[in-house]
Amino acid sequence: MIKTAEVVIIGGGISGSSIAYNLAKKGVKNIVLLEKAYLSSGATGRCGAGIRQQWGTEMNCRIAKLSCDFFERANEELDYEEDIEFKQEGYLLLSSTDKEHQQFIKNVELQNSLGIPSKLLTLEEAKEIVPFLNTEGLVSATYCEKDGHLNPFHATQAYANAAERLGVKIYKFTEVTGILIEQGKIRGVKTTKGNIATNIVVNAAGGYAQLIGKMVKLDLPLYSERHQILVTEPMETILKPMVMSFSLNMYCQQVPHGGVIMGRGDENEPRDFRITSSWQFLDEMTTTVTKLLPPLKNARLLRQWGGLYNMTPDRQPIYGAVDEIEGFYLAVGYSGHGLMFGPATGLLMAEIILQEECTIPIDMLHLNRFRKGELIFEPSVV
Amino acid sequence: MVLKCTGIPTNEDLERVFPSKERLEKGPIVVVECFQRIPCNPCHTACSKNAIKEFDDINNLPVVEEDVCNGCGLCVSKCPGLAIMVVDMTYSEKEAILKIPYEFLPLPEEGELVLGLDREGKAVDKVRVVKVLNTKAMDKTPVLFIAVKKEDIKRVRNIKLQEKEKKFQTACCSDLIEKNSKLSKDTVICRCSDVTLEQIRGLIKKGYTTFDEIKRISRVGMGPCQSRNCGQLVLREISQMTGTPISKLMLGTYRPTTKSIKLGEIAEAVDGGEHND
Repeated sequence: MIKTAEVVIIGGGISGSSIAYNLAKKGVKNIVLLEKAYLSSGATGRCGAGIRQQWGTEMNCRIAKLSCDFFERANEELDYEEDIEFKQEGYLLLSSTDKEHQQFIKNVELQNSLGIPSKLLTLEEAKEIVPFLNTEGLVSATYCEKDGHLNPFHATQAYANAAERLGVKIYKFTEVTGILIEQGKIRGVKTTKGNIATNIVVNAAGGYAQLIGKMVKLDLPLYSERHQILVTEPMETILKPMVMSFSLNMYCQQVPHGGVIMGRGDENEPRDFRITSSWQFLDEMTTTVTKLLPPLKNARLLRQWGGLYNMTPDRQPIYGAVDEIEGFYLAVGYSGHGLMFGPATGLLMAEIILQEECTIPIDMLHLNRFRKGELIFEPSVV
Repeated sequence: MVLKCTGIPTNEDLERVFPSKERLEKGPIVVVECFQRIPCNPCHTACSKNAIKEFDDINNLPVVEEDVCNGCGLCVSKCPGLAIMVVDMTYSEKEAILKIPYEFLPLPEEGELVLGLDREGKAVDKVRVVKVLNTKAMDKTPVLFIAVKKEDIKRVRNIKLQEKEKKFQTACCSDLIEKNSKLSKDTVICRCSDVTLEQIRGLIKKGYTTFDEIKRISRVGMGPCQSRNCGQLVLREISQMTGTPISKLMLGTYRPTTKSIKLGEIAEAVDGGEHND
């Protein structure tokens, strides 16, 4: 294993792979990416794989749009020999209360002002998109045809392959066990396969980011929450967009191979890194989805799994350097949206590390916002 | 105690269930090597002569009426524990016949010389397969008639095919697939997601060397079979191409559910309150 590196990135998900690629593309040599299992083995490969731009904060909207625009041309830009399978078949968001409806009005206004082509829909208009939608208890909907879905394994691999062609060294099945610091400066990382001397470490460890923080005695405002997903056997295409409801706390989409993927969150989940499957999830998920989308009663459950949302108090990511530890950078806390932010994460983190002007000014996503109490809450999270 | 720890009866255990020398000399008779009290009685119900007596308590060990049993062997394939065999010391001057249950494939051929194994699976001596019975009534528990030396009747309890088994194993090895069998690079390994042998090998060459990586990138094992069909085949390819013994390779993650079920059925069960806690 290599002994020294310019930059060590911890985490082989979409974020780490994208950061590695963007740094290498900007000319940084000797970049190492460390992954404790295999690429996209964590949250990236376990997520619902939706790509949406309909957010409630300006930062999330801008980051999502930058990323979505990149995904549209990712196969070419990353010169990927296969396909990241990005399909833009829209997101249909549903409101169930007047309060939520009012929020939707504000969201669409914000989104439109940032160039995101979302629309507020009546329930009749929503039924034109999903004819079998049970609108009982719903108030309104918003729809963005540019939102969609991709294959997280291929997207991560596309970044990783492109990074490797630019000289990045990727070590799979190599777990970071400690971080070396001298006088407040990063000096290296300890791994299960040996030590690497470096002055720059990027924490992109997804659901395990707070554990990496602990290695430098940093108590990050993060916790990991299990979210579960199920997928059905492939069936004829009946559902084009991702259907999502914040009140019902669920999302559901039919993916290109025909299976229907659906998931939901539960903020009462234990915060102990477990990613096992529970039958309670099946009960709640099937009850909710078959009421909202009745034809799915006949879909057959195929598999069920879990993964970790790395949550911040304001449900927006933390990007940037850490003041008290020179050379330690954070790209963490996506609160369930790391995959869809992947391209922006890579670009912005590379710009921050190289002290360039950022494509999107993201000072307000720095760790210090929690210290100053300057939080803007994202209202639209499942 | 030895029996309980290892599952292998000692000579003393065997003496308790083996027929007397006098009875053995009269003709074929059953030997029931049943040592553990469990609720089980198919040996009794299989016997048309009532030689294995009806159980007062279904947990009791079987009792054989030596003078009633004619060694017909009906009970041999019925015992779920494969604990019953028939011994016929009158077969020839030097050889006895053992009728043993045998649930491995491929089956030996009649007349074939095979290796006789003792109760620990260790080789005893070559033995000859005289007859292979595999009727529908036996329900996939064929019975082999094997000729063994008379002095070995208390030792031999199973057989191992020699050349044939070796062939069977090597036919699985990928380097021989094209040469020896109908498998080709176009052979579909994953029937749920239509992934071919060639695609699997291509992915291993690219550096995907665990089942879960290949699963995620190719959808192998994500279908209704949940890798029950393709899992071992993929591991074998990884083992062949990376030189890692198959025993050291990680199996893929098995996910619930075991069998597919309609979402509506789960939701209805919830509504009915059948398993809410």
